Amino acid sequence: MDKQMTLDQFENALEDIGYITERDDRIALTAFLATELGKPLLVSGPAGVGKTEIAKVLSQVFGAPLIRLQCYEGLDETKALYEWNYQRQLLKIQMGREHLEEADLFSTEYLLPRPLLQALLSQERTVLLIDEIDKTDSEFEAFLFELLGEFQVTIPEMGTIKAKERPIVVLTSNGERELSDGLKRRCIFLHVEPPSVNKEVRILRAKIPDLPDRLALEVARAVNILRERLALNKIPSVSETMDWAKALLVMGKTTLDPAWVDATLTLLLKSQDDVELFYREMGAERLLFESCKLAQGERHSHGQNRQ
Amino acid sequence: MDKTDNDRVSELDRHLVEFAQLLRTVGLKISPSEIVDATEGITLIGLADRKRVEAVLQATLVKDVRNILAFKEAFRAYFASVEQKDAWQKAVEQKETQWNAQMESTRQDLCFQGNELDITEEQRAVYASLPEKDKKRILDFLEKSSNGMKSGVPVDQTYQPTVERVIRGSLEYWRKKLDEDEQISTPGTTDGILSEVERSLRDREVEVLSQDLKKISAEEWPEVIRLIRRLSQRLASQVTRRYRAARRRGGLDMRTTLRKNLRYGGVLVERSYRSRRKERPRIVLLCDISGSMLKYTEFILQFIYGLSSVVRGIKTFAFGQALMPLTGKLRKEQTLEGLVKEALSATGKEWGGGTNLANALETMKTQFPDVLTKQTLLLIVSDAQTLEGEKAAALLKGISHQVRQVLWLNTLPERRWAETPYVKLFIPSCLMYECYTLAHLTRILSKQF
Repeated sequence: MDKQMTLDQFENALEDIGYITERDDRIALTAFLATELGKPLLVSGPAGVGKTEIAKVLSQVFGAPLIRLQCYEGLDETKALYEWNYQRQLLKIQMGREHLEEADLFSTEYLLPRPLLQALLSQERTVLLIDEIDKTDSEFEAFLFELLGEFQVTIPEMGTIKAKERPIVVLTSNGERELSDGLKRRCIFLHVEPPSVNKEVRILRAKIPDLPDRLALEVARAVNILRERLALNKIPSVSETMDWAKALLVMGKTTLDPAWVDATLTLLLKSQDDVELFYREMGAERLLFESCKLAQGERHSHGQNRQ
Repeated sequence: MDKTDNDRVSELDRHLVEFAQLLRTVGLKISPSEIVDATEGITLIGLADRKRVEAVLQATLVKDVRNILAFKEAFRAYFASVEQKDAWQKAVEQKETQWNAQMESTRQDLCFQGNELDITEEQRAVYASLPEKDKKRILDFLEKSSNGMKSGVPVDQTYQPTVERVIRGSLEYWRKKLDEDEQISTPGTTDGILSEVERSLRDREVEVLSQDLKKISAEEWPEVIRLIRRLSQRLASQVTRRYRAARRRGGLDMRTTLRKNLRYGGVLVERSYRSRRKERPRIVLLCDISGSMLKYTEFILQFIYGLSSVVRGIKTFAFGQALMPLTGKLRKEQTLEGLVKEALSATGKEWGGGTNLANALETMKTQFPDVLTKQTLLLIVSDAQTLEGEKAAALLKGISHQVRQVLWLNTLPERRWAETPYVKLFIPSCLMYECYTLAHLTRILSKQF
């Protein structure tokens, strides 16, 4: 794809591959900015709002392969960047004891590139997704500085390796730990909120074409109420909303009713605490009632806009 | 690029730098490189669409969710219409004139036999924000003492220091009282835009996070408890920085590997690896329950619950005059008061009274020596207002060498530390943080762990 894309073209490209954005969520603009300025994109927000999806979509739009590094506590450079192939090195030592030089053993042949190095060594442009960066410890974060700032890494035995083609870097964070200022300074920042009712309806319609409009709207409203009114431990994610809608569709429902909300609630709320909270503070009847009120509110504000 | 174009760009730069300054004033950290990013972003996207400009600036300058609100307000105020800005500026100037007039009148009010009293600006400000009735009492006192007699002789100027001392003491009392309700009306900034941003942020500051813990209402507690639980979890799963030999993956452990393979003549047949050792710190909680800390008991209790629900074997002590171990199982419906009373009846001591940290630390050292180990994280929750401060500081110093770390969560705002006599004695032997809102607690825990 042409590198010099305008923002409008970029937005259209997103729409073409079925990624729904709204102007207010600023996802398109911020992602465009990061790719154009050649800066890493740091995406934060609650779990399940589509942070990882952004990297996948960028990979599709730019036709660049996606390289993913899943972070976890205790992740270090031998798993993220490179490791020497010790077995092979040992074999080599055994095979040619006399004529061996040190440089023979520390060449790219004996290097096992891990995701970060893969992204730098790749001949074509890649999308590098560093998922859940907040799960790692601060040493690893500091170690990333060189990569994120200069798109190069230094391997002591070999020297500095510079990216052949700058990768598009996307970092995601659930906000479990405060990230260091150094990391944040090097990135363009995007905070993703759960989608609005409108946006979620559009997502549902795009992903489940058979879903009746009315059901899509009711599902989106109900989930919106759950997310906003209850202090849940884990709010329902977009994919869970989709699962719920699909389940209702399979059951042949065209509209929500309390009995079916009760029966399928576990598709949305996946911990006992949250289920208990739901029945204590709301319940299915009330949920549908609140959804209706939300719908009335929407109509009312539309009416006002028209006037 | 011709000259006019150059000028236009520099005008944009000037505005961006000025805007960044404003953001810094309201608490954002912005580096020059981020301003460069913002400039490049604006050049790329263009200035035609206000919403897009806002989005570009937010993406490049704001790197923390908690700062988004401040940014929005700052953007609204900085890029407001000229008339609006003028109006804000006028309001600020008017406020300042009013303030100056008020200060001038306090200067005239607070006199002893026609001489101005030697008190600080802050104390004058306290006087200015007092209700009329209390002002009158101070004035009456001044008037009476000005015309007073001592042993039949009218008092003269030599008595002024004595009077000043009394007035200062009284104003200090009022300052503490007013400060808690945040009623002292200082003039604040002279910049119209900044004052507008500050005002709107104050209006919106209903967030639980930034509220003083003693003011959090009952409805907000569930939210607070959840947050404390989450924070405690992080505290509990702290990873040590040390490595230890392990079977699987985490970098080659050269030393052990060489040692193991000596028998093969130095050929590295068996390799051993290092991995992070997960070690939970042993937390010892020492809570101040004296009179001055009463307002924070709910917070302390929730903190204990939160911690004890995720960390096993946490030792909790309360102290006032003496040390009380709060052992036994914590029950959800229990209040801290009940808990303490139970402990009191067991030890036969009394509730209330002053604070004596020295006494508490000494008891801990002598009667519970096994709680202070190299794995111990000693968490002190206290406002550092104690008797025998020097002795307590010396004891704390000794303890700080025995344990892994001493963390002190001080419920007193940092700006008041200088006035509390012993704070500076404690600081060398512990890490002290101000902690009277949940935002503080969050920040401390994310900085520490």
